[in-house]
Amino acid sequence: MNKYLYDVVIIGGGPAGLSTGIKLAQKGLKTLLIERGRFCGAKNLFGGVVYTSSIKEIVPEFPEVDPSPVERPVTEEGYFFLSKEGVVKILHTKKRADESFTALRAKFDAFLSEYALKKGIDLAPKTKVIDFIRNNGFIEGVIVDRPTSFEDPSPATIKAKVVVIAEGVNRLLTEKAGLVTKTFEPEEVVLAVKEVLQLPKGELEARFGLSNNQGLAVEIFGEITKGLPGTGFLYTNKTTISFGIGIFLKSLMDLNLKPYEILEYAKLHPYFRELFKGSETLEYGAHLIPEWGIKGLPKPYGNGVLVVGDAAGLVNPLFREGTNLAIYSGLMAAEAIFYAFEKGDFTERSLRRYEELFKDSFIYKDLVMLKDLKTFLLSNSHLFQVYPEMIYDICSLYFSAQGRYKRDVIREIFGIIKKKRGYWGILRDFVKIGRFLW
Amino acid sequence: MVKDLTINIDEKISSVKFFVDEEFPHLRVKNHDLCLQCRDKFCLNFCPAGVYRLDSQGRIIVGYQACLECGSCRVGCPSRNIEWSYPRGGYGVNYKFG
Repeated sequence: MNKYLYDVVIIGGGPAGLSTGIKLAQKGLKTLLIERGRFCGAKNLFGGVVYTSSIKEIVPEFPEVDPSPVERPVTEEGYFFLSKEGVVKILHTKKRADESFTALRAKFDAFLSEYALKKGIDLAPKTKVIDFIRNNGFIEGVIVDRPTSFEDPSPATIKAKVVVIAEGVNRLLTEKAGLVTKTFEPEEVVLAVKEVLQLPKGELEARFGLSNNQGLAVEIFGEITKGLPGTGFLYTNKTTISFGIGIFLKSLMDLNLKPYEILEYAKLHPYFRELFKGSETLEYGAHLIPEWGIKGLPKPYGNGVLVVGDAAGLVNPLFREGTNLAIYSGLMAAEAIFYAFEKGDFTERSLRRYEELFKDSFIYKDLVMLKDLKTFLLSNSHLFQVYPEMIYDICSLYFSAQGRYKRDVIREIFGIIKKKRGYWGILRDFVKIGRFLW
Repeated sequence: MVKDLTINIDEKISSVKFFVDEEFPHLRVKNHDLCLQCRDKFCLNFCPAGVYRLDSQGRIIVGYQACLECGSCRVGCPSRNIEWSYPRGGYGVNYKFG
């Protein structure tokens, strides 16, 4: 009855699913990747930056690939503290230019899928998985929203020994598979909106002080999110800029704010207005970032099933990791699948191997370390409001102190600190941050 | 907070490529009475695509055609009153850059 039979079916053509597929194809497992978009990347959006060391695990020749799937090497990286009036920048010139690259996902993910195809996986785009084939608590394949054949209009079923769920942040199928008991809450996700901006020709390099093979990656705090817990970001692509903000969905709801208004407001900030003068919005987009962390982690394995990438919540917001964690989780999933095939056992007894690998990895340890991050950020939202303004005001005084008695300037600086947060407040914040990170 | 500014979300959305599924809306209000009773109507604001709007009678209209498929409304609706699924394969948002 089943026309379609695979060793492994992967749901979702992002970095997590594609890296699983590439790895599996290397050992000759018959693998099908199902993607609901018209191509891999069509539904995907991030800041963003991709990390070379993770990509090399699946594409060893990277970044020497032609045409390049990435935009610019990140040569300068840092933070902007944005006050209402201006900005204080901390920028670091990177020792190595090839550690990370800015990227756009429609191109990057499509490249990975081409690569995976060449390695021998099958790809079914424009296809949505609607449910699983279940048998006695086992997942034995998927049911898709396409007819079985010309003659048979019923939804096609595809059998597989293992199903890998790489569906992304909206973990509908993970829920359906019974690997997570509840939907996530608004305080567990950040809603990011982003625009791809085109500057007049030659202006990108001129305004950012970059040469052709240099790029900038910046996180922005403060006024950019109207002081709400969250960040802004700015990345330089080849000929465009990725500019956006990410704010906890809960914070937006508490204040009934429109995310695109905050983004537009940021673009009108005197600093960015000048920087983006004459720019055109090529594309607007939105995406959720999973920040449920270790507490909201689904059970990542079951009988005949594994969960990778965003669906599992593998994101480190503090260190801007996401796509790389997706790739690593894909690799670990592939390893667990090899183990299961060796044993000829696809129950959770052998697929548990994935969780063992995961728990040994830095990804899990980081998630444990940052287990209270969202609670910390949401309950210390003043950090986003007070400090960027204070840092800017202090710098304003310090950098225009000429021709004055400096003790008065210093006193005035302490006055700002006292007024904005108070000495005790600052001390408390430092202790809190220190204890959180230790 | 951002009062002095009115943004036309339709203009932003016009930069995005969609393949609209005219046959099957992928979003649906489950029970309109619940929405009429809802005082907050968070969805009118947090939806990054402005999918949720009010008609002249104060009923929620769902402009699923412009949905960016982010999933905010699935969890942001306090009564979980939105039936949420992805569009059928091949339909919906189609990023050129992403």
